[in-house]
Amino acid sequence: MDKSAEISDLVEEHVNDGDTIFVGGFGHCVPFALCFEIIRQGKRDLTLCRSGTDILFDIMIGAGVASKVIFGYLGNPGIGLGHAFRRAVEAGTLTYEDWTNMSMILRFEAARQGIPFLPARILQLGDIANASIPGTIEVKTIDCPYTSEKLACIPALKPDVALVHAHQSDRSGNVQLIGVDGDMFTGALASEKILVTVERFVDTARITRLPEATRIPAYRTTAVAAVPWGAHPSYVEGVYGRDDDQYFAYDREARNVEGLEDYLRRWIYNCANHSAYLNAVGKKRLNVLEEQASRREIG
Amino acid sequence: MIGLPVAIRLALAAARELQNGEVCFVGIGNPSDAALLAKHSRAPELTLIFESGVVGSNPISKPPLSTGSPSVAEKATMITDGLAVFSELQAGRIDVGLLSAAQVDLFGNLNSTVIGSYNQPKIRMVGSGGAHDIACLVKRLIILMPHDPRRFLEKVDFITSPGLSDRRSDLKLPPGPVSLITERARFSFESGTAALSATMPGYSEEDAVEGLSWKVKKTPDFASIEKFGKKELEAARSCLQYLFN
Repeated sequence: MDKSAEISDLVEEHVNDGDTIFVGGFGHCVPFALCFEIIRQGKRDLTLCRSGTDILFDIMIGAGVASKVIFGYLGNPGIGLGHAFRRAVEAGTLTYEDWTNMSMILRFEAARQGIPFLPARILQLGDIANASIPGTIEVKTIDCPYTSEKLACIPALKPDVALVHAHQSDRSGNVQLIGVDGDMFTGALASEKILVTVERFVDTARITRLPEATRIPAYRTTAVAAVPWGAHPSYVEGVYGRDDDQYFAYDREARNVEGLEDYLRRWIYNCANHSAYLNAVGKKRLNVLEEQASRREIG
Repeated sequence: MIGLPVAIRLALAAARELQNGEVCFVGIGNPSDAALLAKHSRAPELTLIFESGVVGSNPISKPPLSTGSPSVAEKATMITDGLAVFSELQAGRIDVGLLSAAQVDLFGNLNSTVIGSYNQPKIRMVGSGGAHDIACLVKRLIILMPHDPRRFLEKVDFITSPGLSDRRSDLKLPPGPVSLITERARFSFESGTAALSATMPGYSEEDAVEGLSWKVKKTPDFASIEKFGKKELEAARSCLQYLFN
């Protein structure tokens, strides 16, 4: 079945207001183009979830499309705080659940396996799941029926929609990726629908040359669009490097509301689509990032 | 020695805690600086693991901003997923973990979640990431903090990552923090709270606790740490060049 589509159709047809969205990309292959399209289309009341987030979460909070976040880490990796997140929490305008990276991964893994929880040794000490601190998460415990050990029950989290960017796919939706995964495919395969952008479409013959690189099988892919540079300013292994300067720029600009609004206008609202976004980034910058790519190649 | 940037001195001091042949779970920043420095000086057979699922990492080309950054993957010997490396951690296969945080207390509890109260924070920070998981599960936890007395509290505002606790053995968790390293000193948790166990080259006992609200005891084996050697300093210059700028 041909599941190829335009990026605007992916969002228009498959992302609904109020959905719980798994945002793929653990530093690598972060689905910026898909999420910028969600912002352009003015989706509302989304719950965003993943383990360690990228600035993309903060941008979506700042753009007002998210009403709730479920996460392990939320900030600008290696640089600092998530400014929009911080303002929203301090103003009381956002609902949030603090988990940990491991527990988020286990939540997705439980959903991927179709079971209600997975036992673990974490979240039994400290304040993250502390019943005496209102607003922290509730994590139930269990005595192991075999050994009597006390274990935390990490509840399944099944997102409505997963957003993934990857290297390549055939038009039926066999999605291939090399490089850092993190929780990308645990989260994707836990989700009801999987929306994918790829750097390029390839023939199925090419997929079968290296089936080990296939991370989402066609029968699980909902729809797929070819969107070169769809992960910028994050990176795609062997295709283009990470635009660290953009992350530093976001840190400077998002420190106040006006700066964040300028950022959103420049990179999202004033760009009618992804091609216009790439024009705004500029050919020169893209060439530099292309040269920074690693020499690793997908088949 | 005192002329070196704080981050370099902290990395040099913490690298001394890592032994050749160990497997080390690493966070970004001071922890990854220290682990990389150890690997390129005293512990060449150190295996670096990042929560992004990267094993045998050697991010020498550029300091990574994210555990998923290109340089983390660049010279790695294995790329798997987060589930796999956290599973290794929970199964007790990882020897040592390095963590930093906004606040630390006498029991080695760490806070990276909020300054102020959880529901009405003065500053909302980034949250746990993998820090809580590492603090609970790693066999030996090393805490790295720059000497900044405002960040050394009797009690942290929020326990993101648990330190010492009577409940650890009941929960079949490893003992938790063994040492707290600053650029000025090493504190040991052997006696149940942080106790001064060594001063770093160029610092006195007074420097080590300057401005701290903690009532710090000295360990029986208290010593001055020997000067950093030529090899360590050369490795710092080559691996952590960016911190000199």
